[in-house]
Amino acid sequence: MVMDERELAHVKAELDWSRRKFLKRAAALGVGAASLPLLAACSNNASTSAPTKAPASAAPTAAGPARTLEFQGWEFQPEDIKAHLAAWTKESGVPVNLSLIPNVGYGPATQTKLQGGATIDIFYNLTYNTGKFVEQGWAHDLKGFPGADDMLNDMFPQARARYTTPDGKIISAPYFNAVHTLMYNKSHLSKAGLQPPQSLQDVYDQSKKLKANGVKTPYVAYWIKDFCEEYLNVYLIGEGVKMWDDSGNPVFADDPKTKAVFEWWLAMFKDGLTTPTMLTDDPIKLATLMGTGEASFYVLHHYFLKIIRDLKDAPEKDNVDILYRIPSATGKTFQMGEVIQMGTKGEGRSVDDAWSLMKAYGWKNSAGQYSTFKSWAKAAQLGAPYPAFFADPEVIAAFGTNYDMPKLTDVFANGSDVQGGRSAAWYQTFQAKVGDRVHAMLLGQASPADTVAGLAADAKAAKGGI
Amino acid sequence: MSSDASLDGTASETPKQRSVRSGHSKLAAADRRFGLLLAIPATFIVLLLVGGPSLQTIVYSFEKVSFIGPTPFVGLDNYVRLLNSDEFKDSFRITTVYAAGFVLISTSLGLAFALLLNERFRGRGIARTLLIIPWAAPWLMVGIMWKWFIDADVGMFNGLLYQFGLIHDYVPFLANPSGALIVTIVAAAWRQASLSGLLFLAALQTIPPDLPEAATVDGASTLQRFRYVTLPWMRPVLMVVLVTNVIFGFLQFDVIYAMTQGGPGNSTTLLSILLYRQIFQFSNVGIGSAIAVVLGLVAFTVGLVFVKFLYRSESVYGRAVE
Repeated sequence: MVMDERELAHVKAELDWSRRKFLKRAAALGVGAASLPLLAACSNNASTSAPTKAPASAAPTAAGPARTLEFQGWEFQPEDIKAHLAAWTKESGVPVNLSLIPNVGYGPATQTKLQGGATIDIFYNLTYNTGKFVEQGWAHDLKGFPGADDMLNDMFPQARARYTTPDGKIISAPYFNAVHTLMYNKSHLSKAGLQPPQSLQDVYDQSKKLKANGVKTPYVAYWIKDFCEEYLNVYLIGEGVKMWDDSGNPVFADDPKTKAVFEWWLAMFKDGLTTPTMLTDDPIKLATLMGTGEASFYVLHHYFLKIIRDLKDAPEKDNVDILYRIPSATGKTFQMGEVIQMGTKGEGRSVDDAWSLMKAYGWKNSAGQYSTFKSWAKAAQLGAPYPAFFADPEVIAAFGTNYDMPKLTDVFANGSDVQGGRSAAWYQTFQAKVGDRVHAMLLGQASPADTVAGLAADAKAAKGGI
Repeated sequence: MSSDASLDGTASETPKQRSVRSGHSKLAAADRRFGLLLAIPATFIVLLLVGGPSLQTIVYSFEKVSFIGPTPFVGLDNYVRLLNSDEFKDSFRITTVYAAGFVLISTSLGLAFALLLNERFRGRGIARTLLIIPWAAPWLMVGIMWKWFIDADVGMFNGLLYQFGLIHDYVPFLANPSGALIVTIVAAAWRQASLSGLLFLAALQTIPPDLPEAATVDGASTLQRFRYVTLPWMRPVLMVVLVTNVIFGFLQFDVIYAMTQGGPGNSTTLLSILLYRQIFQFSNVGIGSAIAVVLGLVAFTVGLVFVKFLYRSESVYGRAVE
């Protein structure tokens, strides 16, 4: 059959129309579809499944067939994690499936999975999330579990508040601990005729002098938004400021020393005694500045001393030492630590098994050894909340010559506080606000007095669920 | 064959012609039906995996979401709170600036890459291969890499500027709000320019060689050849690139998160970062969902504007662009 011109034109018109229509619709759909994942990603956070609240207190008693436990952590020493889990499986006969999530975005990923109904029997968590996770029904209250109280009693007394709530819940077990300390370049100080600083004012004055002597950025600290809350604790604990009353209400704004701390904080940044990019800098970069001698003081977790001293070809790394106190009125510091929690999906024997694994991982194994903590100590000189850990020869050997162990132990035992309010269910909201407020102040958008008042208001609002 | 013109100007058809046309129409209709059938599985999967959660997000945006108690319907309350929030308004402004810069840089840089790589020169094959590398890197890695690259103390970019005598001291690009916004835009646009360049390059290679040659013979300058030959030919691809870049620009998250976490201050707190904070840090799923809906709508609308603007019915050198 031969088509005439009109027939051909008609068919072409049909095809053109279809093509035009198709392309138009495809383009519109393309725009729509491409913008949908955002909505979908957002929605993934919240499942339609009705969540169940964790029992207020439920000691495991039921027996039954063993099922594979689901264990989730972030990617630190993955081979060690596997070895610890394998060791426990060998003893218990209960298999464990390990899921590792990158550190960046760990919290949101975990929340999404738990709210989506995923079964995670044990998972790493950040302390400031723990109360919220229990309240949301994602993590188990461990009160009444066999040995839970013994685990707490084995800790430094002040460290227990991290794992408990004021109303008596036990919401987590330890994963690791650290204390904020001042690391300093003893050569810089010696050349300037200075002794290690003893107060915030000393830090300011010495930084000025060191800057005048040619040190580019005398004082460095990890002041990114997410970490400002840790530094708030460091500086206020050091000055002896009580942050919360027994009911968890903010009282730090009532103490005039708080405003003084914020004025010092602002002065350090505004007067150019820190690196100007410190609000976004990476902690390893800051460690590098200590190693190269571009910085003289570094306040962060004690184990950063090892990181500095392990830097290759860093000319000043061996001149960096640690001061076992925070320059402040009391010398005390903030003891931080991350934790492990138990999910709420387990039933019967799996709860027993999960608790057994938690005890082995976050306390002692069946041989009475702090086996996981020892491996973290060997890998990165991380600490633990247990006094006996610091007396263990393996741990002392792992910390090597970097630390004076009696002094470091004393900081954990007597020279630090965990700021118990951090395990409150509302705390994460406050934690996030601290970074906003501090950055705004450092950038000249708010005065220290306004910042203190704003933070107190934020804390009240967070606590009140506003 | 002949046909008479009707009063309304259309040609009248013979029964045979009508029969043939009817046959073709039926064939075309059958083809369309078959095409639709083929699309059903993919459509179903997209609806299930993307459409469902998206719908759920929209529903959440009208609720005060709680995971442990009742989730009351609050109507437009979440949206009203957003509109009354200075934080949201600031973030919206920053997002708009960010997206505009991102689209401008990623599109123009991609076009420049493509025009360069379309020319003949030694090593062109390797250069074309290199073009894909930024696109192969995850967004998060791009952010981390750029953070070190432009660092004020150890960054290579500062080193280069210093070596060439362009600066006397290293510049802390991330130290001030404006600098941080610009650097994060450039970092993200650098990666996106790779994809834009690939798409543009593919389009450039479809231009019949006689077109620019004819324009040259007619005395067109390089700029005129680009304006009147190359650019019109690439309009369909330009539309795709622009729409894609608009979407990536508005929905950008990873690069910002890796480089600044929204700081210093709130200078790089895009709506995507605000959304993240509301949902994951403040547990305000309703508010976060409302932000997601607003962000999705804005990206959708701006994308559609580009489609509308560029998708005109016209023919270029006998080649239908529509």
